[in-house]
Amino acid sequence: MADAFLNWPMEQIAKALDLPTATVDRWIRQGRIPVRRKGLNCMFNRAALEKWAAAHGLHFTPPGPAADQTKTEIPATLVAAMGQGGVHHGIKGNSVDQILRSAVECLAFLKPEAQMELHKGLLERESLASTGIGRGVAVPHPRAPLTGVITSPTITTCFLQTPLAYGAVDEKPVFVLFVLVSKTIQEHLRLLSRLSYCLRNDEFNRFLKTVPAAEALLGRVGEFERQLDLGEHEH
Amino acid sequence: MLDGQKGKTLKKIDGSWRFSVKWTSFRLDDRLLLILMGMLVGLSSGLAALALNRALVGVFSFLQVLRQYWWAFALPAAGALLSAIFLEKIVKEGAGHGVPDVIESVLRHGGRLRLRSTFSRLVSACLTIGSGGSAGPEAPVVTSGAAIGSNIARLFALNERQRITLVSCGVAGAIASIFNAPIAGMIFAVEVILGEWSALNIIPIAFAAVAGTEISRRLQGNRIVFAHQAFEIGFADILACIGLAVLTAVMSILLTRLLRNLHHLTNRTVPTLWLRAALGGAAVGGIAVLFPDVLGEGYHAIEGMIAGKYSKGIAVVGMMVLAKILATSLTIGSGGSGGIFAPCLVVGSFTGLLWHRLLVYIWPTTTWVGEGCFALIGMAGMISGILQAPLTGIFLIVDITGGYDVILPLILVSAVSTALCRYLEPASFYLRDLIEKGWFLLPGTDGRVLADLRVDELLEKDCIIVHQNMLLREFIQIVKRSHRNHFPVEDALSGHFLGMVHLDDIRPFLFDTIMYDTVILDQVMHREVETAQPNDNLAAILQKMDDKHLFSMPVIQDGRFLGMLSKATLLDQYRKELRVQTDH
Repeated sequence: MADAFLNWPMEQIAKALDLPTATVDRWIRQGRIPVRRKGLNCMFNRAALEKWAAAHGLHFTPPGPAADQTKTEIPATLVAAMGQGGVHHGIKGNSVDQILRSAVECLAFLKPEAQMELHKGLLERESLASTGIGRGVAVPHPRAPLTGVITSPTITTCFLQTPLAYGAVDEKPVFVLFVLVSKTIQEHLRLLSRLSYCLRNDEFNRFLKTVPAAEALLGRVGEFERQLDLGEHEH
Repeated sequence: MLDGQKGKTLKKIDGSWRFSVKWTSFRLDDRLLLILMGMLVGLSSGLAALALNRALVGVFSFLQVLRQYWWAFALPAAGALLSAIFLEKIVKEGAGHGVPDVIESVLRHGGRLRLRSTFSRLVSACLTIGSGGSAGPEAPVVTSGAAIGSNIARLFALNERQRITLVSCGVAGAIASIFNAPIAGMIFAVEVILGEWSALNIIPIAFAAVAGTEISRRLQGNRIVFAHQAFEIGFADILACIGLAVLTAVMSILLTRLLRNLHHLTNRTVPTLWLRAALGGAAVGGIAVLFPDVLGEGYHAIEGMIAGKYSKGIAVVGMMVLAKILATSLTIGSGGSGGIFAPCLVVGSFTGLLWHRLLVYIWPTTTWVGEGCFALIGMAGMISGILQAPLTGIFLIVDITGGYDVILPLILVSAVSTALCRYLEPASFYLRDLIEKGWFLLPGTDGRVLADLRVDELLEKDCIIVHQNMLLREFIQIVKRSHRNHFPVEDALSGHFLGMVHLDDIRPFLFDTIMYDTVILDQVMHREVETAQPNDNLAAILQKMDDKHLFSMPVIQDGRFLGMLSKATLLDQYRKELRVQTDH
């Protein structure tokens, strides 16, 4: 099998070597690369090409199925994350610690140990700086993403029974928490940015103050998200 | 009609591929294949060299009877005339000796040479030299051998690197065959034609040199071109050789400059090519009336000198040196066909003889080694000086004289002569034109890497194109999505490139929301930007970037934006190219 020859289009070889096709074409013509033209395709011995690439500081990495998977993964939407996390009303607590403990208990999909861990993480992050972003909203989240515990990112919405002084930037008491838990930093930033797009809107804030039910909230968020997607694809 | 034509070409391409595919399916290991091909090329070019040699001897002796008539000076004129017409009108190739064309083809065209070059210069050289023109048959056989190698490579659909190796094989086989000198053939091919030493090339070249020499020995016997008796070389002789080196260096420079100046002079004064060649030939014929030894390749004279049988005095020898230099410059400079190899050997041996006569005249009591020895060393000095290739000079003389006993003065004279010539003439006779045109680009050098890389291999196409009427608000949305700081601006209607916007240009307004709907890109873009064309020379583009302190430049074709060219990508590709080019 070591002598087996592969027959690929030149573009594919160029992509695997991370080179412009024009360069591969020229190198084949000049005889600098162990690849031969065969009809419209190119013929090469994979082991020989890999050895050659390594000797010249290049990498031969064919686009395999693993690479495709990461590329085609669709990023989670805000609605999906909020739906996954659920919307809870009447969360009780007199202090940040208590309220976060109650909020974490709403994340029923986490095992008790993971809940404990998350609670600790959330408190740690609060001690760094309050996540109260003003207008009575807080977005508690752990500093490091939770890897291995969850399969998709979640935002758990918790409306408090009584507004609580949270040390927010505008010093207004907080009446709603969006507990944001994600697998990766990128995911976290993306969701946070989308959430903040909604929260910047005055009308959405007034709507939040009415303590809407889960369906109404998700519906409204969905509308905002569509606007956002439209804006991204406009150009 | 068009479709039919297209179909025809496609079929043709398909056909040629099919041939190579068939071949590749039972392809040998590349290195073994190259060695076998090298032997084949060496054999063929060796045969071509022998053919020219035989033809020359035949024509020269056939015309010998006519040389006693008073109009004999017209013979070289007629030969040069026919040769010029043959080259210009029939095969349509440039005049001159052809070696620079081979080097140029190796350096710039991947060793491509025309099929007709396999014989064209053999015919023209036969006419020029056979009729008495002062030139050598070596350059024509080198060109012919190189063309044979190149065309065999093309027949078997080899790549450029393999083709270049086969071109060198042809050269080595030709020189090895014509001089019965395998080492000189190898060294000449590597030192002068290739300019780089690598095992990949040297092995097939060695086989070609062996094949070329063997075919020559089979067909005309194993004879040493200039056989001689052993020389006893004393310390005084070695010291005296340094003087000879200086003298040969002077003669090399004289010949190089005279060749070039006569070429320019005749080109300016006589516009018609055939008339120019005929006048040059007639002038050589005129010189030959006084000094018949300048005619032809002149090996006969060398044999006499090495054997110590040349009896003329110091004045005649001195004039012979100058006469041969002049005759050679006239023959080749005026458009005759032939090389400078043989004339160099003749001039070198006369120079050696002259030096010996001078030594004897100044120190009559000292015992000097025979004059043949000096003639021999003079040849090495002359070849090394004019080609600026000391190894070729040394090994050629060792090979063609069978004289290892003179190796010490040989090395000394070759080295000193090369060094002096290099000091006075920075480029050798073969390379001068190439260097002047900026075409002397050895693999693995900065110039070659930049010449090989093309602009379209470096284009970065991930730029987002914007329009001049775009509001800052829209633009900021684009900035969010872009990975780059540069944004080409195109005309909204015609799509023509207008200029560039850099992130820095909008940075002051980035956090000022009032500006978002009041500023349009037309107000912040740069219209006066340096641009490059896809066919531009990369070295020139880089020079421009350095002069203007730029890190990137848009590439424009027919008013359209194609992509960005940046130093970062260039460095990346440059390193890859350099690593690949310097691999042996």
